[in-house]
Amino acid sequence: MKKTSIFGLVVIAIAIAVIISVYSNSSTYGSFKDAQNTTSELHVVGHLNKSKQLIYDATKDANYFSFYMKDNKGQECKVVFIGSKPQDFERSEQIVLTGQMKGSEFHANHILMKCPSKYKNDQVDITEAKSKQASI
Amino acid sequence: MDTAFKGEHLLPGHLGQFFTILAFGSALFAAISYYFAATNPTDTSWKRLGRIGTITNMFSVIGIGTCLYYVILNHLFEYNYASEHSSRALPIHFIISSFWDGQEGSFWLWNFWQGVISCVLVRKAKSWEAPVLTVIALSQAVLATMLIGVDIFGARIGSSPFILLREAIDLKSAPIFIGNPEAYHHYLAYIKDGNGMNPLLENYWMVIHPPTLFLGFASMVVPFAYAIAGLWQKRYKEWVSAALPYALFAMMILGTGIIMGAFWAYESLSFGGFWAWDPVENASIIPWLILVGAVHVMIVYKNTGHSYITTTILVLASFVLVLYASFLTRSGILGDTSVHAFTDAGLFWHLVADVVIFLVIAVVLLVIRWKELPKTTKDEETYSREFWMFVGAIFLCLSCFHLVVVSSIPVWNAIFGTKLAPPTDPVKHYNIVQASFAVVVTLLTGFTQFLKYKKTDSVKFFISTLVYLVIAVLITIPVIYFTGAIKLQFVFIMIMVGAIYSILANGKVLIDALKGKFKLAGSAVAHIGFGLIMVGALISAGTSEIISVNNTGEQFTEEFVRAKNNPRENLLMYKNTPIKMGKYTVTYVGDSVSAPDHFFKVDYKVVDASGKVTEHFILKPNAQANPKMGLIASPDTKHYLFSDLYTHITWSNNISVDDASAADGHTEADDDKKYEAPIPYEVKVGDTLHFREGYAILTSLGKVDKVQDIALTDKDVAIGAKLKVVSHDKTYEVEPVYMIRSNNAFDFARKVDDAGVKFRFSQVLPKKGKVEITVFQQPESAKKWIVMRAIQFPDINFLWSGTIIMVIGILLSIFRRNKELKVN
Repeated sequence: MKKTSIFGLVVIAIAIAVIISVYSNSSTYGSFKDAQNTTSELHVVGHLNKSKQLIYDATKDANYFSFYMKDNKGQECKVVFIGSKPQDFERSEQIVLTGQMKGSEFHANHILMKCPSKYKNDQVDITEAKSKQASI
Repeated sequence: MDTAFKGEHLLPGHLGQFFTILAFGSALFAAISYYFAATNPTDTSWKRLGRIGTITNMFSVIGIGTCLYYVILNHLFEYNYASEHSSRALPIHFIISSFWDGQEGSFWLWNFWQGVISCVLVRKAKSWEAPVLTVIALSQAVLATMLIGVDIFGARIGSSPFILLREAIDLKSAPIFIGNPEAYHHYLAYIKDGNGMNPLLENYWMVIHPPTLFLGFASMVVPFAYAIAGLWQKRYKEWVSAALPYALFAMMILGTGIIMGAFWAYESLSFGGFWAWDPVENASIIPWLILVGAVHVMIVYKNTGHSYITTTILVLASFVLVLYASFLTRSGILGDTSVHAFTDAGLFWHLVADVVIFLVIAVVLLVIRWKELPKTTKDEETYSREFWMFVGAIFLCLSCFHLVVVSSIPVWNAIFGTKLAPPTDPVKHYNIVQASFAVVVTLLTGFTQFLKYKKTDSVKFFISTLVYLVIAVLITIPVIYFTGAIKLQFVFIMIMVGAIYSILANGKVLIDALKGKFKLAGSAVAHIGFGLIMVGALISAGTSEIISVNNTGEQFTEEFVRAKNNPRENLLMYKNTPIKMGKYTVTYVGDSVSAPDHFFKVDYKVVDASGKVTEHFILKPNAQANPKMGLIASPDTKHYLFSDLYTHITWSNNISVDDASAADGHTEADDDKKYEAPIPYEVKVGDTLHFREGYAILTSLGKVDKVQDIALTDKDVAIGAKLKVVSHDKTYEVEPVYMIRSNNAFDFARKVDDAGVKFRFSQVLPKKGKVEITVFQQPESAKKWIVMRAIQFPDINFLWSGTIIMVIGILLSIFRRNKELKVN
């Protein structure tokens, strides 16, 4: 057998190992309900319930932040994030949490949020122009 | 027919739109002409037409740029692009960079560089001109379609930068224009300013990083075009040498662009590091890794005739992966796996088509020519340089394969309907897997230096390899011990061994090179640079330490106690209250505001045992309260030779996004509520009043002639109490005033905001010969504070200097390969 063929087999073996390791490391997207039924970490997508209170008081604890999020199935859950409040959090329109349930709270160790970006077309600033208009 | 809208400047848009069509047409024309020039080499008129097409294309791409520039520079906000990406407040260099803030601008940049490269190749490519430029012109034409933005059969092709605001957005149904056609007719009067750039991008790196990155991407097309040309024209053996300098160039520029991005992230973004394995970062490194592999097998083929097929496949794959990366980052498919805000500009299938076109060309050509391709039947020697270079290239591909598999998880989900999510701790996952490949690659860049092409004396090879390996291990031990890298996982320590080994082995080659075999210097220098990058990345990422650890034991909420062992990386600092952080005594001393930037002055002191200040500096991390984007922080870093101290603000009560909410119009009574219960003091001149943050001395009492803007008459009596207020080593003078007017007593309080106190001259007590001064103190929570995160990055300078060294090395190689080309 040629050396390159042996090497080829090694390469294929490594490639398979890579796929398996990625697959076993990969997480899943789920809802809060799924999170209640599992002990492993998962991703939950949802949006902030802006009507409920966001708790972040740096003078008490600079590393405690909690809020209420509704997942995409409409279920609401209290979320606790150990860390400082992400900047611009209130403006988020979609949140992706990574973490797990602890009791009735979801403990997130990672928050990724999508803010209404300026790339979005419907965000043009008519409102600002309007207020200027009123003051004239 | 267009209704005339007041104040619109339509000419630059029409002109620009014309140029986008011309750019597409001329590129297509060039591609077709060059195609016939390549198939009819005897007829030179085709070639001439191809050249005309190429030059016209360059001219029209510049035309697009000029028009877009004109639009942005003159703040013509009737154009969507200007309105979205620029604003009046932007200084000129950021206006330049707002140009490539959006998808269209960055496509233009790519188009521009590819045009420049085409022009260079028209001059330089000689016998390769026709077939190579056929491919590049085709690529140029496909890119140009991204900017056209015209409707064909009901589908919009591309996204034009010259779309008007009122076309892009349904302005008509905006609340103020509903039922008010007259106002809509004057809509421009309402659009006073553009959105401006994301403040994070308002950085000088934004001016230089994208052009570099896109020059890198654009130059990747050249080796690809040569490979296609080689297959097409059956010049299988020649194309490799001709393409090598261009491949090296692409590798150098793209590598520089990537590291620039890393440096930018490190310097001014607040994610606390230089690399985060974000899918967008991965997308830039994926084609680079394959290209590096390709360059190595190209050299193998050139020297030995081995690995032809691998060479061809890798070169072809590198460009297809550029297109794939551009699909990943621009189509919006990454969605919620990436922090980068890329949204679909309606180009999804267009981008897919871009990848497919070039993939199909490459695969079909390869299949057609497969039987004719030069193959070596002879097995490579185990003790030969070519074999191990080949192995190294394949390992780079595997590393790239892993990145593709993970970053494409959303693509797999879209294709197979699965619901996979990226690993929960992606950084750790990437680090471990990529580190394993890096160990192999660094070791290979080391010991391959002791091998010769064709065949090497194995005994000699083993001796020198082992000697250097032992030295590398001996150096690694103290290095990891003193830097603290010893606590890292085994695989990272192995990288350290590999990187140091590589530096040593290539150092030896470099010394030999300086003795006379100078042409070998390029690769040696580049490998040393790569080794240094690895060392720097490993130490700084592996041993970076968050020093803003809150271990005071205070300020723990109940809920925090329940969630044990969580990182407490953010430190709360009240203004003027020093906190011990690592070896530093840190104080938040003040602010300096120059709108829209708000710099928080953080004072660092190192005090030795005897109380002497041995080091003192102030860092000014910045936070911008941007009404459109919210609070945006960028760090400030203290650079030492062997470590960096990085500081950024994560939160503060001293900055508000709604700047209009300033506390005007509050009555005194309201203001008093902001303070704790007042404490009255009966004092005489010379007495001291104590409060939490310091003390005040009543220095004198005296008649006052004027109180603010109230004119005093003879009947009024006004007395001022001069107070010397001392707080945190600073002295302030204030004079609260007590006034009697028509038998009514008034008083005017005075504040010392820095100390969080207010003084009222509340009574005169003539019988006691004293006066009453009331002290108001702000409660702890109303004082200004910041929440700060500080990280120490050791030895990151190895990474930056390694990059520069690597670039120098590649540059030397380019000169060498170019020279070889002229000799042959």
